[in-house]
Amino acid sequence: MIVAARLVRDRRRSVLWWMVGIVALVLFTVSLYPSLKGEESLNEVIEQMPEAIRSMFGLDTAIPLTSAPGYLQGRLFGSLLPLLLIVFGVGLGARAIAGAEQEGTLELLLANPVTRRTVVLERYLAMVGMLAALAAVFAVALLVLGAPFGALEDVPMTGLAGAVGGVFGIALLHATVAFGVGAATGRRAWALSSATVLAVAGYLFQGLLNLTDALRPIRFVLPWHWYLGRNMLAQGVAPDAIIVPLVLSAVIFAGGAAAFLRRDLR
Amino acid sequence: MSDEVIRTEDLTKHFGAVQAVEGLDLSIRRGEVFGYLGPNGAGKTTTIRLLLDFLRPTRGRSVVLGGSGADPAVRRRIGYLPGDLRLDPVYRGADVFEFFGALRGGTEKGWVDSLLQRFELDPGRPVGELSTGNRRKVGLVQAFMSRPELLLLDEPTSGLDPLLQHEFNALVREVSAEGATVLLSSHVLPEVEALADRVGIVRQGRLVAVAGVEELRRGARQRLDFHVAGEVDEADLARFRGAPDVVEVSTSPGVVQVVVEGSADGAVKAAASMEVVRIVSHESDLEDVFLRFYT
Repeated sequence: MIVAARLVRDRRRSVLWWMVGIVALVLFTVSLYPSLKGEESLNEVIEQMPEAIRSMFGLDTAIPLTSAPGYLQGRLFGSLLPLLLIVFGVGLGARAIAGAEQEGTLELLLANPVTRRTVVLERYLAMVGMLAALAAVFAVALLVLGAPFGALEDVPMTGLAGAVGGVFGIALLHATVAFGVGAATGRRAWALSSATVLAVAGYLFQGLLNLTDALRPIRFVLPWHWYLGRNMLAQGVAPDAIIVPLVLSAVIFAGGAAAFLRRDLR
Repeated sequence: MSDEVIRTEDLTKHFGAVQAVEGLDLSIRRGEVFGYLGPNGAGKTTTIRLLLDFLRPTRGRSVVLGGSGADPAVRRRIGYLPGDLRLDPVYRGADVFEFFGALRGGTEKGWVDSLLQRFELDPGRPVGELSTGNRRKVGLVQAFMSRPELLLLDEPTSGLDPLLQHEFNALVREVSAEGATVLLSSHVLPEVEALADRVGIVRQGRLVAVAGVEELRRGARQRLDFHVAGEVDEADLARFRGAPDVVEVSTSPGVVQVVVEGSADGAVKAAASMEVVRIVSHESDLEDVFLRFYT
């Protein structure tokens, strides 16, 4: 695992800053919860919002924003958190193969006694590991910092674990698209744009879903729908929202890696 | 053990319509220093990248150290210096040596230190802060540090000052004396003629000639300008034209321009009766030097 260890070491400073940022976000968010807790008027505002807007932010009238599960879903799990993890993961994924190849450093690495298979596998595992570490830091920060502010009231541990698994799943899926497209093409711009388009288009479609019934049949192919379709903090774990993105990621990685093994380096 | 370290058979690589390497049959023997000479864009780098399995051939095949360049066991025995060396700018030289050393199953510290000393390289500085020449040194050290049996060096001395070039030449002679095989690509003859036993000349993806260095030198063209005091008359020019190995003579006021193929001796003797103020020898491009092979 020399290749994986080196990549983690190369990125360690950047990963640490991301962790600091995530902890700060958690602290900021949970510390605001007590002031929101009793505000019934907020729920009325939300009830008057169009369904599409509500669903875009993962809000559900059945789960009031003034309750801990509703608040955490609306402020973290349904908005900023997946966005941040996706940006982090896609950046890592696009750099891992395509970025290194365009910088010209991949070739010299491959002049050493390592196979392409080893490099693509270890760099992927390093990416998955760093993404998982960031998600884990988030979970720990929420557990430690959430309780004093009452932000974990009525949040079962299984629901919390499921929601963290779900956000990791959707971030991993987008990161894997960036990694896979980058490995297959050797072009960082393609890797970044494919993952970005998937994320943005998927998010918009998810919002449109509730506006028009015409789109409902396609909701099952939308990663955002799997993830935002249910508030796991309140409604319990949805295993498919975690497992489907993981399985899909494995398939996309395998495809990208297979193409990488066959093609010319750029 | 086979005596052939590199063998290619009909090795061919096309990039779309571009024929980067075409039908290359190359054989490099154990222990020799092989100069791979050709103008820029002739396919030298593509050949080396094919040998290392960075590129997949359109046709044909290559055998490196009895196996494939894709095989880690083979790569362990190869040292590589790319022509366009790119290193992660945040790595220090020491990071490069440590990382690649670990991948190669360790290096002898004494040997690496001696290389650093030779090239006067500070391994503690980030590569991004190094000058082109110093970055080149990092590339050289990583290529030589595992004492490889085969060195693939793509334009190794570009960017090195003459002193370091000298040090590099000494190092190549040393490892060659210890039995290593060296493939040295270059676009200028002087760079390889000091080191190579044999030279292959490549042009537009095709190997046009393989010859010993002595033979090449005999066939190489050079242009000499004799700057003389006083007038140049027809008798002088006739003397040059009649001299052995002189293939072209032209004149401008105060200068006789001569092209010789092989030895310059005849031209120099023809000039002996004149008052020669200065002799200028031009560094000519390969196409001129090896007109013989190119036409």
